[in-house]
Amino acid sequence: MKNAVKTQTIVIIAECFEGEIRPVTYELVGFAESLQQAKPAKIKILVLGDDVENFARELAQTTGKDVLGIEAPHLWQYNGQVYQTVLYAVLKENPPEYICVAHSSQGWDFAPGLAAHLKSACVTGVNRISTREDSLCLSRDIYGGKVSADIISKTQTTLMTVQPGSFGWKPRPNQKPGGVDIISVSIAAQASQTLSTQIHQASDLDLSQAKVIVSAGRGIGDEENLDLIQQLAAAIPQAVVCGSRPIIDQGWLSYDRQVGVTGATVSPDLYLACGISGAAQHVSGMQGSALVVSINTDPMAAIFNQSDICIVEDLTVFIPALLDKLSETSKTK
Amino acid sequence: MNILVCVKHVPEAEAQVHIDADSRWANLGTGTEFRMNRFDECAVEAAVQIKEKFADTHIHILSIGPQRAEAVIRRSIGMGADDGTHILMSKAGFVDPFRLATWLAACPQAQSADLILCGAMSEDLMQGQVGPLLAATLDVPCATSAIHMAINPEDKTIQVDREIEGGYRQTLVLNLPALLTIQTGINQPRYPALSKLLRANRLSLEVLHADQMEQPQNLQEVDRLMPPRKMRDAVLLEGTIHDKAEQLITILSNRSLLT
Repeated sequence: MKNAVKTQTIVIIAECFEGEIRPVTYELVGFAESLQQAKPAKIKILVLGDDVENFARELAQTTGKDVLGIEAPHLWQYNGQVYQTVLYAVLKENPPEYICVAHSSQGWDFAPGLAAHLKSACVTGVNRISTREDSLCLSRDIYGGKVSADIISKTQTTLMTVQPGSFGWKPRPNQKPGGVDIISVSIAAQASQTLSTQIHQASDLDLSQAKVIVSAGRGIGDEENLDLIQQLAAAIPQAVVCGSRPIIDQGWLSYDRQVGVTGATVSPDLYLACGISGAAQHVSGMQGSALVVSINTDPMAAIFNQSDICIVEDLTVFIPALLDKLSETSKTK
Repeated sequence: MNILVCVKHVPEAEAQVHIDADSRWANLGTGTEFRMNRFDECAVEAAVQIKEKFADTHIHILSIGPQRAEAVIRRSIGMGADDGTHILMSKAGFVDPFRLATWLAACPQAQSADLILCGAMSEDLMQGQVGPLLAATLDVPCATSAIHMAINPEDKTIQVDREIEGGYRQTLVLNLPALLTIQTGINQPRYPALSKLLRANRLSLEVLHADQMEQPQNLQEVDRLMPPRKMRDAVLLEGTIHDKAEQLITILSNRSLLT
């Protein structure tokens, strides 16, 4: 009997944007390889677009995995409905055991709908995997990162969106390229159509180069406390003021100063988090910092798990005290 | 035009979260304050702004949760929604997002809506799934992370800007009925008006009992909850506020960060 033992498959959906393969795609390869340790399976990368051959060859070359390029009309740029429809058409006959997607604005847009079509579980924002009594546990943060939940899928196929920054991957030396197949899929017109993709706010500020970042979160309370953050930044050489999403939403800082998934990814020598709760969306933008110091009144704040130095204080009292000491220190020099 | 907005009652970010003895679910400290999920507040505001532009708009609010969750329906009505349905849950704990979407989709107001608005995610569970799953269940198009929208009732379309990474936005057109998940920053939600809140508090809400609704098989379950892993040393500075300030300055000086 042919195929008596069916090989399990892990499918990765590559993410491309503005003519490039996004780095998170390689994190998905790292994630899939960890998954492979727990559940032996073959890894296959799927890449979608209107002209994907170059992407497919690049992925096969870099990763050594087999790649299926899927060309479909209307895919000159991302559209969630088109992704769901095309992927369902390709995967429905022989659904893989695992489908790995980035937890990004593309991934969280199409993954749940695709899961609904495949009648499979969708677990979003996965940051760790482990096994327990032969079951695969998918860990994700809840309550703003104060608790981690281990989720078990109950379906044959499981979709996962993987939190950026959680899994690393390095190419192996002398990697033999994987095979490349390109197929075309035609689908009916969809009820959603992408018109354009454009930069919303251009800025000259390049936070990725900042040496020191003093960052404000919702915990600063009032807009006037932003003055304290500005004063603290002024007292530390080469420091730049940034914020988490709520501060930018309030209009207290401009968009180009937002750190996190929908803002900048930074890796300064010092990241001073003031009143930041530490939700995953923010942490993925700053976890590459060399030294993280956090000030928060809530001793359970998730940011403390991402910090080297933790200060449980009210920043409106602590920062003035710190500023006094800093000016004393500079006078005695 | 009929708009449905799905809202959730969530604990304050500062809430104390304790893991149950059997590690199955979380307990919130006594005295925990609950409020409307911020993403949902923006969704209600977006609906009210449409109603202000197109007078024949009806806004229905839908919320799943325990008894306390009715507060968010009343607050939404205070902000300008017309009425609401509370899908009342008798037990606490994790509910599969697919099951939640099934319950929402079973409501006639979901089936007859021209536009459904949900928050991009809930601040407590952060799954970002219930909205897209509801769209798939109702077989309507969906766009997530909406940061701008313009409805065109004549064409029965809606133009949406989605917020994507790196300061980019993507513009789409969706045929109505459609579902959008709303990103914060799309608007500044208003405070409920006192007169509307008074009406909201007198209004009797439609109540459906979750226990009596369809119970599809769980696609996923929580195995256990764990404290988050410390990704760094997490050294806690001790002493008076001045001691802490001094220790921090020493640490920063030793790393040449103050010169």
